[in-house]
Amino acid sequence: MYAETRLATNTPGLPARLPLAAALLWLGALAASASPWLAELDPAALISAFWTYNSHDYTSVLAHFSWAPRVSVAILIGCGLGLAGAVTQQVLGNPLASPTTLGVEAGGQFGVTIATLFAPAVLAFSPDLAAVAGGLLAIFLVIALTWRLGFSPVTVILAGLVITFFMGALNMAFLLLKGEWLGNLFIWGAGSLVQNNWTPFMDLWPRVLVLALALVLLMRPLQLLQLGQASASSLGARVGMIRMLALFLVVLMSATVVSRVGVVAFVGLAAPVLARLLGARNLVERLVWSTLFGGGLLLLADTLAHWASTWGDGSLVPTGTTTALIGGPIILLALQSFRNTHHMPGQDASPTGFIPIRRPAVVIGSVLLTLLLATFIVSMGWSPGLQEWSWTPLSQWDDAWVWRGPRMLAAILAGVSLGLAGTLIQRMTGNVMASPEMLGISGGAALVMVLIVLSGAEVGRAGQLTAATVGAAGALGLLILLARRHRFAGTQLLLGGLALYVFMDSGLRLVMASGGTVASKLLNWMYGATWLISESEALALLSLILLISLCLFTVIRPLTILPLGDTSASSLGLPVGRARLALLLLAALLTASATVVIGPLSFVGLIAPHLARVLGQHTVGRQMMVAALAGGLLLAVADYLSRIVVYPGQLPAGLLAALVGGLYFLWGLSRHGRS
Amino acid sequence: MSAFFEVTNLGVRIGDTAIVSNLNIGFREGEVTALLGHNGSGKSTLLKILARQLSPSTGEASLLGHSFRDTGAREFARIVGYLPQHPPGTDGLTVRELVALGRYPWRGPLGRYTDEDHQLIDQAIEDTGLSRFRHRSVDTLSGGERQRAWIAMLLAQKTRCLLLDEPISALDVKHQVETLRLVHRLAEERDLTVIVVLHDVDLAARFCDRLVALREGQSIADGTPQEVMTSDTLETIYGVPMGVMERAPGQWVSYVH
Repeated sequence: MYAETRLATNTPGLPARLPLAAALLWLGALAASASPWLAELDPAALISAFWTYNSHDYTSVLAHFSWAPRVSVAILIGCGLGLAGAVTQQVLGNPLASPTTLGVEAGGQFGVTIATLFAPAVLAFSPDLAAVAGGLLAIFLVIALTWRLGFSPVTVILAGLVITFFMGALNMAFLLLKGEWLGNLFIWGAGSLVQNNWTPFMDLWPRVLVLALALVLLMRPLQLLQLGQASASSLGARVGMIRMLALFLVVLMSATVVSRVGVVAFVGLAAPVLARLLGARNLVERLVWSTLFGGGLLLLADTLAHWASTWGDGSLVPTGTTTALIGGPIILLALQSFRNTHHMPGQDASPTGFIPIRRPAVVIGSVLLTLLLATFIVSMGWSPGLQEWSWTPLSQWDDAWVWRGPRMLAAILAGVSLGLAGTLIQRMTGNVMASPEMLGISGGAALVMVLIVLSGAEVGRAGQLTAATVGAAGALGLLILLARRHRFAGTQLLLGGLALYVFMDSGLRLVMASGGTVASKLLNWMYGATWLISESEALALLSLILLISLCLFTVIRPLTILPLGDTSASSLGLPVGRARLALLLLAALLTASATVVIGPLSFVGLIAPHLARVLGQHTVGRQMMVAALAGGLLLAVADYLSRIVVYPGQLPAGLLAALVGGLYFLWGLSRHGRS
Repeated sequence: MSAFFEVTNLGVRIGDTAIVSNLNIGFREGEVTALLGHNGSGKSTLLKILARQLSPSTGEASLLGHSFRDTGAREFARIVGYLPQHPPGTDGLTVRELVALGRYPWRGPLGRYTDEDHQLIDQAIEDTGLSRFRHRSVDTLSGGERQRAWIAMLLAQKTRCLLLDEPISALDVKHQVETLRLVHRLAEERDLTVIVVLHDVDLAARFCDRLVALREGQSIADGTPQEVMTSDTLETIYGVPMGVMERAPGQWVSYVH
């Protein structure tokens, strides 16, 4: 009755490369970790360092109390995070999910920061408590936001990413306000595995083991989740409860780790991705191999961190940095191999349901301009003094300009260029959730600047701008190259952005951990300290933006045509390749000039084009104009607020913009689901 | 014969729209029933109610005389199996692994699979003619084979009832007929109660013992194919003038005027 075909009759076996890769990874990591010691201890003595030591030999003592526990902790944590990552991916049916990408680790860190500041007694009682609470808060936010959207994979990751940024920004705000209390959190937050005795390991292993066992017991119900909600529940599984329980255990596992060694990012993502790429097929295989890969990866990363610390000038290189360095390429690798089956929120939002009424651009434009002008006047004139709020008389504005003018001008210009860049990128990719920040283009610009700071070279503003442009163009070009095959669909772009962000973040952590003036300078810049801008710089920026704006007039029409698809565009006589390149360069330049001023983390590039749309501007030209004005207004307000909120202190304007922008984005995301 | 499912005064509202209102209907054991109706008539909703995927806003549904509310999740799953309209991708599972998941209601999260379980799994694969694909990944199968693999999972579940939501809507004619023939044969061999949502009224009349037609959440026709397959009844169901010919005993052809 059925067609007879020749087929394999055996169970598909384990691909040989899987155990091979795992063995190579473990052997490599162990050998690398042991090699500095082998010069002074013979292998047998080194192995015995795990349980005993020779009290007459200093090296042996050192190996027993420093090296062996460090290796053990790395393997233990790596295995735990690998397992947690694999379970998270199964629960959410999402190849990008992990404790890191869901914001659990950032949440845990946030919890510890809050506890350190406001309730140190909690930390003394149990460090896990604060971290678990923070992690649960983060995952609760992510789930609450994406509930109505049915956990669509990319939406969950977007929400997780924003929560991560948002909690990071909050962390930074506390750090800048109460720096003296939180100095140690720098190093701790970056994930350091340095050990000087066995207590932390002894403390940790029973917890990790119990949690791992609990997760393994959930194996069969977890398997059912693969069949989808309807089938799983018709087989008698309580889907909601299984998800809840598994995620709770994952949060416990991540928070336990975070509260002891800080954020060890991306092991939980990289390990399952690696296992899957190498051919782990069903759940059992994935869990087992993710656990193994996690342990190996973290050991390798930790060894690299250790080497870097010894080779460098003795400053500590936290393991969190090297995991991010390893995690980044693995995400990029995953980018190439995942089939693009996920949709990006916004991409399929049917235009009919979500398009607000068109409004005349002139009216909206003049309203925004008036608001901008009002902000300008208030910002120049109305300010808090030591005793009370007062108006600066018009005759004194000349003097006040030096302090209040350039920074405001620069903030407005940064907002304008982010608004323009955001519109360009959203139109180019045909995706309303794309933006310089989310796609890592700002991250690329920042990465180059972090590298410059790291190398110790002194460059002026022009040099910074050039470097940032190169970084932004590189990031954008890389993204376009990677995503071309998939026509800029969500997962690929987002993953690419994530990977770039990871790189930037790791560089930043490195600088932070080394401490000193460089760190605080970088920190201020990252979160957009506008007070660093001088008048001549602001004016130079003004002329640059005006020049670019002129260029933009020529691209309005190509930009309208490009989303119709390459074929239609070229049959209309548009040189597609050249047009794309020109747009790419313009977007990169705009992003870079904004990043130099306001840092990479404001959400203005996402919000401004979105606002323009909501305000009823749908054609390219009008959207660009209104987005530019809206962006300028947003950052002008942020700059003013940053001056007065904690007067006489200051907050970076970009930080305020990020906090407000994050809230707006989360609101927008949950609104999206309703339409 | 007592009623297998019994639905009384059933009402389902989603938001402000009433999908089903005040519906009373029973299904006997061992009967193959087709649910007919045009899009939005409430037939899938009724099926989801019977599968406990949705809970009724008003009214009562009971299984073998016991209210749905008093039945545990796994206990229910040992009696009723449900195949959703669009089963998701299975992400690398082989056919046998998929079918084995059907034993979950009986073994739970930790119970060991016995020889009997393995026998039932192999039997289910055998019955659906998938033996040759046993170790193939479900994702690589064609549409018809994939549908059979899911039905095999339902068989391994060893339920007394199958609820199928448009199991043939994505298949070509050959596979449509093969799938329905398979369901019909299995229902006879294993003495199953089957309720299936179908669009094709001719195939429904050919393979089912009873046809139930819904419109706007109300039952507007209910009876044997002989009783339902008249041009008047079909016109009420679909809202277009239709004609029916009986080509041979038990084989009807309907057409639009």
